[in-house]
Amino acid sequence: MLLKFSQAIGCAVALSATALAPAFADAPAPGAPASPHAGGTLRLAGQGMLGTMDPQVSYLHIAYQVLNVVYDGLTTFSKSPGPLKRQAIPDLAESLPPPEDGGLTYRFHIRHGVYFSNGKELTPDDVAASMRRIFKANSPTAGPYYSHIVGGAACLHDPDHCTLAGGVEPDDQNWTVAFHLTHPDSEFFDRLAFLHAAILPADTSTHDVGNNAAPGTGPYRIVSYDPNTGLRMERNPYFKQWDAEAQPAGYPDAITYTFGMDPEASVTAIENGQYDWMAENAPLDRLGEIGSRYADRVRLIDFLNLYYAALNVNIPPFNDLRVRQAFNYAINRKAMVIHAGGPTVSIPSCQLLPVGSPGFEPSCAYTKGASPDHPAQEWQAPDMERARQLIKEAGVSGQRVGIVSPSVPSYVAMANELRSTLADLGFVVSVRAITQAVQFTYIQNSDNRVQVGLTGWNADYPAASSYLQALLSCGTFIPHSDNSINISGFCDHDVDAIMDRAASVSVTDQKAGDALWAEASRAIMAQAPVVPLNQVRWVTLLSARVHGEIRAPIYEVVFSKFQLR
Amino acid sequence: MAAALLRRLGQTLFVLFGISVLVFMVFFATPGADPTARIAGKNASPETMAKVRHEYGFDRPLPVQYATMMKKLFITRDLASYVDRGELVVPEIIEAAPVTLSLATGGAVIWVLASVTMGTLAAAFRGTWIDRGLMIAGLIGISIPVFWLGQVANLITQARYHDTWLFSWVPGLGYVPFTESPVGWFKVLIIPWIVLAVLFIGIYGRVLRADLVAVSGEDFMRTARAKGLSPARVLLRHGLRTSMITFVSLFGLDFAQLIGGGALLTEVVFGLQGVGRLTYQALSNLDLPLIMASVMYSAVFVVLANAVVDVIYVFLDPRVRDGR
Amino acid sequence: METQTAASAPSPSRASVPGPWRMAGRSLAANRSAMTALAALMLVTFACLLAPFYAGDVARTDPFTSNVAGSFMLNGHEVDIMQPNDNPLHLGLSPVGPTWNPSAYMLGADSQGRDVAARLLYGGRNSLLISFSAALVCIAIATLVGVSAGFFGGFVDTALSRLMDIMWAVPVYLFAISLSIVTISQGLKIGPFTIESDNLLIPIFIIALVYVPYAARPIRGRVMALRNAEFVMAARSLGVPQHRILLRDIVPNVSTTLVVLTPLLTALALLAESALSFLSIGVQAPAASWGTIIQDGEGLIYTRPMVAIAPGLAIVIVVLALNILGDGLRDALDVRETSRRGA
Repeated sequence: MLLKFSQAIGCAVALSATALAPAFADAPAPGAPASPHAGGTLRLAGQGMLGTMDPQVSYLHIAYQVLNVVYDGLTTFSKSPGPLKRQAIPDLAESLPPPEDGGLTYRFHIRHGVYFSNGKELTPDDVAASMRRIFKANSPTAGPYYSHIVGGAACLHDPDHCTLAGGVEPDDQNWTVAFHLTHPDSEFFDRLAFLHAAILPADTSTHDVGNNAAPGTGPYRIVSYDPNTGLRMERNPYFKQWDAEAQPAGYPDAITYTFGMDPEASVTAIENGQYDWMAENAPLDRLGEIGSRYADRVRLIDFLNLYYAALNVNIPPFNDLRVRQAFNYAINRKAMVIHAGGPTVSIPSCQLLPVGSPGFEPSCAYTKGASPDHPAQEWQAPDMERARQLIKEAGVSGQRVGIVSPSVPSYVAMANELRSTLADLGFVVSVRAITQAVQFTYIQNSDNRVQVGLTGWNADYPAASSYLQALLSCGTFIPHSDNSINISGFCDHDVDAIMDRAASVSVTDQKAGDALWAEASRAIMAQAPVVPLNQVRWVTLLSARVHGEIRAPIYEVVFSKFQLR
Repeated sequence: MAAALLRRLGQTLFVLFGISVLVFMVFFATPGADPTARIAGKNASPETMAKVRHEYGFDRPLPVQYATMMKKLFITRDLASYVDRGELVVPEIIEAAPVTLSLATGGAVIWVLASVTMGTLAAAFRGTWIDRGLMIAGLIGISIPVFWLGQVANLITQARYHDTWLFSWVPGLGYVPFTESPVGWFKVLIIPWIVLAVLFIGIYGRVLRADLVAVSGEDFMRTARAKGLSPARVLLRHGLRTSMITFVSLFGLDFAQLIGGGALLTEVVFGLQGVGRLTYQALSNLDLPLIMASVMYSAVFVVLANAVVDVIYVFLDPRVRDGR
Repeated sequence: METQTAASAPSPSRASVPGPWRMAGRSLAANRSAMTALAALMLVTFACLLAPFYAGDVARTDPFTSNVAGSFMLNGHEVDIMQPNDNPLHLGLSPVGPTWNPSAYMLGADSQGRDVAARLLYGGRNSLLISFSAALVCIAIATLVGVSAGFFGGFVDTALSRLMDIMWAVPVYLFAISLSIVTISQGLKIGPFTIESDNLLIPIFIIALVYVPYAARPIRGRVMALRNAEFVMAARSLGVPQHRILLRDIVPNVSTTLVVLTPLLTALALLAESALSFLSIGVQAPAASWGTIIQDGEGLIYTRPMVAIAPGLAIVIVVLALNILGDGLRDALDVRETSRRGA
């Protein structure tokens, strides 16, 4: 999921002790936890642009945060604090089934007594229909995540007649659903936990539902949604908590979300108690203010993300390994950290795996006194001498280089930093800032011959493959296409082989798999197809009345866990 | 008259057609504008891309796509955004319109009142320091970039002095519908109104003064004064009424442009989700359906207002009819 | 009657006769506010021309290079450009504020650690260059359009007027923004020539284009009035060729309108340029204009308001001076402004 994201652990902020609210005599609303902290209306603010409320189509993190308290998958990620790298846990499934047929078959036992917000009970048929709907509704990840289900390839080509026959088999007798895969997949549970595999009633329209949300099994239901003004959620009266880790019952009775608030206005409104939480990161300009006046209401949230510059390895000057390495040596990552708000909220990145992700091992090949053969533990300082030497050897000084950046001020500032670095190395540099909506697809298309594309990435679920394999394997480079996520156009068969091995080993041995991913990450950085820049932490401000631990990896915050009393 | 109206209508349709074709062609000539990949989503498979391309009709010839879009915009009114999947653009415009309307109307009330006062006072005290002071103040108003003025207003009322008694009543940025809370609506809009009005107060005050001064040399004014009417009465009753002709026609055009999205800088600075800001966002996201809808909306207003002004002009001032 | 009569006609006459121009010059020189405005404009222009000198020899800073990790000397102390905030969480960094010392970040730094004062001067160069060039280009196009429409009338007039109507039907800033977004994303390719997106010609031509209807209307009106003026009728009845009438009688008499329009259009263009740059679709980073500096300052409005305030004041001063000068010229040349200002 792009550009905005989540995760919580090891925060510097001590949580304020939960204040005891006066006990309320009235009976809790149906579906509410029997807790003195339940009740109240949670007021969220943000710029909006949540897009469709179809969980199988939406691909925006801000929408994911809403939809994860409305819908469930067979599996999910824990909605409580913990380490960044975490495994999927059972949700609508009773347990994680053991792999059968050497990882080709998984038989899920469906939980009994789970009801949709329209009062209907969840059945194995709903699960099978939802899997077909991934293809019928043109889910963005239908191809990359789910087409290895038997029959999936056919569904991709002809979604209207999608049956997944032989791929997904519901069994009402045993209340199970069996999945058959075309090849073993160590990330299958993660993919089922992702939003696009949410389970909807079988009779849900196969078109994108847009603004009219379908019933879900979570503790809340969407009562009204207007993409321009706001959203309101109330309790799902049929919800009964089955697992506090997977889908906790919600504390607030209702949740409202007001759109059209810019971050500066949101900060002010939260300081003044008009809202409880804002969707955007606190603006850099306000960090000093909230840090000194509202330190106890600030939460720092770690999440798996990475800002990087993709270097086009197929056209000059970055088709020369020495030039790519020189850029990596020369970049001042400390400056990048300052651009992001200083060392409290950002750390320098030396590889494409963010700190905390599976397979991450500290390793920095491009810092003063290090090299791909003798990497340092972490980044220290730029090595301009080394960089200039490499540029001299490559003989590319004086060539023109174009950087394409999203036209968002924070990105433009980073692009200007890249520009200064490349100019120092003797290039004639220009920066082009394109509106963000277009820039991300623009830099992917090899026809646009972008030399340096500045972008950010965070994964849909914590897996090394969603960084290394997604961004830099031969299979994800599609020439002449707007959808070619391998922006560098990097294809190295030796590296691909390591990654394939890592993926297959992970099915049975996670630890050995992780070690292989770390090796793949080092092998990639030796080729330097990208310049990793930095990783950031989320800074979120809460109103004075919010209590409780609201953070959880993947989701960043879980709305159902905001205690208002 | 009917023939003239019909001709006007024909011209209006022609203008709208011209603009829409222009917008359409420019969009498809823009590199990176192909919305398929954005609709399909990050890392979508080529099959999904092909499906989306077909579903949205991007594989058909441009004239067909144009006709389809116009049909969806004007006849079936179910044109959907390319950026927010499934988001219908016509209701989006209809929802943004009251915001813009509130902003423009309130601003207009302020600028008409202030500029008439200013122009009349300046003309009455012609040549004195009051006149000069007002005219310089007007010029300064014309010279301030509206977005900067808005920013400074925000700095003062939202940040620096928000905690003082003077501005503690100022609500956060954003819009409050009149139906929800008339007081909240007023509070949230009063500063944007003033910021928007400043430019126009300057223009209109100066135009009015110039007209009043010019008119005071005319025969009927001399006659009125010779009849012994008080100078104030002459100025207000006779002078002002005659000078209103220019004023009204100017007002019609400016107001129409504001309703049509011309207030976008004010809307952007004050976080008001009106037509202007919507259009700006649509442009930034290269969301053709929304661009098309908002540009059509704004063009309709401006062209209609032009027509109305022409008609009013003819009624107010018979000389114009002969002169044309 | 001979063509010569035209020159001695009582109403506005040819440029070759110095009388009216000299009179206008005298009247302008006697206009104290117009002269003050002119002096202010010259002062600002001069200061902006000295930008490289200020940046290189006084402030000794590169106003285009990001410098967030650096430091500078102030009163013998080394000061970090980005200063850590003193709060328990160590959240955030703020650029150094105004020092009021001309040799060291006089107006402070922006969020990229660049000297705001130096950028203000460099930005002024771009803002003034763009707005003045845009006004000239606009007047050139508008003259072509206005004179053709007014002089030939008939079909030419109808076609051009309708075209102007179409352009006028879209609010000026929306029109400019649309054109900018399209061109900024890719630059312009016209035949063999490619104009990069960071080329100043793009904002110049866009701003010139959107104000053509504004300038063309009064010109057309003036030409129509002239076409029916006695001396032109006379020339025509004597069989003087059209192009000769156009060049010798019409164009010189339109020139007073053009002179008055120039400062007014420059003022409008400056405001438009700053609006476009404020929306980051005008002058492209790392180059500066007053609008881009205001945009940079938007993200610092709470901690370092000076970054946004200084360029805004500069715009107000220059636009005010241009408007006063325009008024002075109009009075001196006795041209009644027939067009309205853009909203």
